[in-house]
This record gives sequence, C-alpha cells and structure tokens, in this order.
Amino acid sequence: MSTTSDDRSAGGIAAPAGDRGGILEVFKREPVALAAFTIVIFSMPLWIPVLGGYEGLATLIVIWGIFVLGFDILLGFTGYLSFGHAAFFGGAAYVTGFMYRDVSDNVIVAFVASQVGTLILAVVIGLLAMRRTGIYFSILTLAFAEMLFAAALSIFAPLTGGYDGMTRLQEPNLFGVKMDGLTIFYIAAAMLAIGYAMALRLRNSPFGVMLRAIKENPMRLEYTGINVWRYKMAAFIISAHYAGVAGFLMVTYEPYVATKFLHWSTSGEVVIMSVIGGVGTLVGPIIGAGFVLYFQNVVQAVIGEQWRLILGLVFVFVVAFLPGGFVDLARMVWKATGNRLRARRHNVPDMELTETKYGTEERLR
Amino acid sequence: MVDQPAAEPRAGAGGQPYFRCSNMQSYYGESYIVQGVGFEIDKGEIVALLGRNGAGKSSTLRTIARAHAPHLEAGEIWLEDQPLHKMAAHQAAQQGIQLVPEDRRIIPGITVEENLILAQVAPPRGWDLERVYALFPRLGERRKQEAITLSGGEQQMLAIGRALARDIKLLLLDEPYEGLAPTIVAEIARTVEKVKAEGITTIIVEQNALAALRIADSAIILDMGEVVFRGRAQEVLDNEDLREQYLAV
Repeated sequence: MSTTSDDRSAGGIAAPAGDRGGILEVFKREPVALAAFTIVIFSMPLWIPVLGGYEGLATLIVIWGIFVLGFDILLGFTGYLSFGHAAFFGGAAYVTGFMYRDVSDNVIVAFVASQVGTLILAVVIGLLAMRRTGIYFSILTLAFAEMLFAAALSIFAPLTGGYDGMTRLQEPNLFGVKMDGLTIFYIAAAMLAIGYAMALRLRNSPFGVMLRAIKENPMRLEYTGINVWRYKMAAFIISAHYAGVAGFLMVTYEPYVATKFLHWSTSGEVVIMSVIGGVGTLVGPIIGAGFVLYFQNVVQAVIGEQWRLILGLVFVFVVAFLPGGFVDLARMVWKATGNRLRARRHNVPDMELTETKYGTEERLR
Repeated sequence: MVDQPAAEPRAGAGGQPYFRCSNMQSYYGESYIVQGVGFEIDKGEIVALLGRNGAGKSSTLRTIARAHAPHLEAGEIWLEDQPLHKMAAHQAAQQGIQLVPEDRRIIPGITVEENLILAQVAPPRGWDLERVYALFPRLGERRKQEAITLSGGEQQMLAIGRALARDIKLLLLDEPYEGLAPTIVAEIARTVEKVKAEGITTIIVEQNALAALRIADSAIILDMGEVVFRGRAQEVLDNEDLREQYLAV
C-alpha cells in the first residue's frame, strides 16, 4: 500500500504537483530519523534486558507501537479523538483467532482475513461516527466498540468463546516456520518500521498537509472545492488498519484472543500512551507505549499493584505540565543544554495558543 | 421599497443572467435569517451588498456558497447553467464559487505556499503560484512562513490569492476591510480592481459602505433579510436619504 494511492482514492482528485514520489521518497527526505528508528527498534532484544525487561516485552512494545502509531495518524494529524480503537485491534484479533482455530494456521491467510475484517469495521464505524466531530465523535466510536464487545460476549459467544476468550488455536506458522520468540519479534519490528516510514511519508505528502489543514479549518477547504469528508474517512481507515495489523500480530505472537482486546480499557490505554509520549509526533506515542508496558510488566514486578497509582500520577503530571508529552520534555532538555530547535509548533489537539488583545491565552477549540 | 429590485435589465448575452438567485430562504437552526432574497448579476460586475448589522448580508453570502449554516430551505441559485441550490459547499466551489469568509481567512497551521497548493487540489485550477506571487510579492517573500505569522493585510492577500489560484467565476468577499489600516484598505481595493480586470464577478459585503461603493459597479441593500434596493453604486452615493435610512452613513 503506497500512501500516494491512498491520496488519490481519498479525494478522487490528483495530488498537487511537486510531490509525486512514492513511499521510497521518505528515505531521501528523512534518512536519519528512519535509520535511528529502525536501529533502536531492531536492537531492542539486546538492550531491553539491561533495563530489566525481556524478549517478550520487546515484542509487546513493538505490537502496541504499531497500534498507537496508527492512532496518532488520526488524533495527531486530524484532531479526531477515537475512543473506540479497540474495535479494530480486537476485531482483527478475533478474525485472526478464528482463522487459526477453524481455517488455516498460515499467517498470510490470517493476515489478509484480519485486514479485510478491519476494513469492513472501519468503513461501517467511520461512515456513522465521522459525521460528527469532537466529543460526539469520541462517544460514537466508544459506543461502537462497546457494542462489538457486548456482541462478542453474547450473540457471537458460540464463535468467540464468550468470557473465556478464544482458545485452542493452531500454532501459527509461515509455511512451516513457527512464529515464536525472535521470529515474531522481527516480523513485528519490520512491520513497525514500515508503518513508521509510511506515517512519515504520509505526514510530508499533500495528503498529510490536507489532514493538518482539516484539523485547522475544515470549512475553508470545502470553500475551495475539497470534499473534506473523504479525506477524514481515509485517515480513519488508515488508522484503523494500523490497529488491525497490531491485533493480528498480538494473536500471532500469543495464540489466544482475550476479551480484553475489545474492551474500552484497551482504547483507553492507547489514549494514555499517546498523551504520555506526545500526540502528533509519531515517535512519541511509541515511546509512550514502551513506557506504559514497561510499567505494567517490569515496574509492577518490583512495586506490586501500586504501579497503577504511579502510572496515574505520571499521566496527571504529563497532562498538567507537559502537554506535548515526553517528546516535549526531550525538546526542553535539548534546548536547555544550549542546542537549537527546528521550529515546530505545538501540535496538541483541542488546545491552541491564541493571541488576543489581553495577551496570549489558551483556549479550547 | 425605495426602488424596484432588478429595475434595470440585466440579461446576459443569451438572455439568461450570469448569476441569479431567487427567493432564497435560509435558517440558522430555527431562526429565519434570509427571507426570500433574490437578485441577478452580470458577468464581471462588482456588487456591494450592503445593509445594517443583522440585515442578513453575510448570511446571504454564506447561503450562496452553500455553507452548512445558515441552511438553505427554499429558493434557487444559478451560476450560468449550474443549479447551486442542489449542491454541497465543495461542489458549489468546484463550479467556481469562492467564499472568503470574514473570520480566519487562511489556514493558520500550514505555510503560505501550502495554503495556495491546497487551493489547487480540487478543480477548477486557476493562476499558477508564480503569478499569484507576482501580484502579491510579499506573499512570495513569505512563502515558507506559517500563514498565521502574516499581518492582517497579508492574510487578506493570501485569501484573495487562494481565490485566484482557482479558476473562479464568482468571488464572495465577506468584510474584506474589517480591522485593516486605511493604507491596507486601499491596497485591497486595488486588488479587487485587478480581480475585476480578470473578468471575475464579485460580491462584497462590507460594513464600510462608502469604501465598498467606491469600487463597486452596483449595489444591493438588504434590510430585515430582504432586498430593499437594487441599482447602481453611484445612485447610493448620491442619495443621502437612502443611505441614512438603510445604512446610517
């Protein structure tokens, strides 16, 4: 999937001239960011034990990294806060589980099926939820995800295993190669690296500029003949597919589908990870995912159940004092040590700094 | 009624007026704002749409541009042979309507050049960017700057530049002079003249009625959501009673 083809299908109109490079264009534009990102991700099994982590945690971080990266394309670029992304993560997980249990143990079959399932879900939910903005959009997405959760536990229980989740799956494999240990880690890491390259490419493309403009002033775009709704829908579907890929990988990594994958708390975790890391920065939410999972798995082992309290405090601290998340913290440190920053505006949804005659004030959009 | 609306013959070459709207009725929620407004405009004409605060001027412009609010409930809007009353905002824009609203005229978070590029994504395509920069050299100098960092006058230039970057037929300017210094007002007025030289028909809604009348060919005066005068701009400038009654100038 190349981002430029998304661009065309999104608007039904040609992209502006001067930026027609394919996905490979990003290697020319942001070689350092991409190389650094890939090295850090792929070497995670080497360095995470130093921090008290383990191989499986690295895999989890990479899978959730894909999930939050897609979430950031929607929230960070267009400003739409979905509170129902568990629908795509869990939906794809259930389809994957169904494939492994009843159809085929081949990962390619499960991958294709899970993405078809994600697409159908994203189109149906998007068609209805994307008609509203702000809090109404959030509530609609939450409602859909909860309906799906309820359906999985009730009418679809014979298929999904109800409260027990989906068990007794065949061991996923790629033509005989088992998906265990480092194999699944490197597959997931490769998908994250590709997903990150695509997200960077998307951000720099005319489609990305369009999404940023939609966040700023959708009506203005309609007055210049642009069907804003189709662009928003495209962003929503792309974002859903990242969640769907993560859901597929989750079940491939650990052949079991937990009901929690569809639960609202999964949607909530993605929001927390994004906010802690830095919404709209792409790399921030992935760091946020790593941080939260590290807390859940490593810090919990040391301090016990108190980890939730500590994580909650960190979240409150970030929202109150660091609206740009950890990425903002890194920028502050970078600046404080006498370095120069490339100018980049705050990219925090819903809040903007506004010049008024009374001085600068923060206001809700 | 001071004058019969559309007293002058305004037939175009083929007998059909270039732009025509009739009996437009639009609502903000339950409030009835535009109450049966209708008029015709010739190709290339600059029309000043005037009236007191709350007369329904901006609402009339927004109705023509098919904005979401106010919502058009009845009436017809024709640009040449295109029925705009049957279209959504973005479709009307693709037929050559361009509304430059009074609030934020530009898209703040992106650069000057990106603002112009986005104007050319959907058809019809107008001037290329270099030609826009030739008309407004200051925009050319600031092309990589974020649009929000421009001054008020420069933002208005960018808004008009966005319109020219599209091959538009009818330009709708809502309060283009609002909050601008007199020297910039003169500069915008010169710009509107240039737009006119391109053969683009323009409707200007403006609180500063005298400034608008000076560049307009004709005028429409609204009161309480209805047309109460339609005639030449000079007539309004000459007729003090009319100005006093409906414009308070």
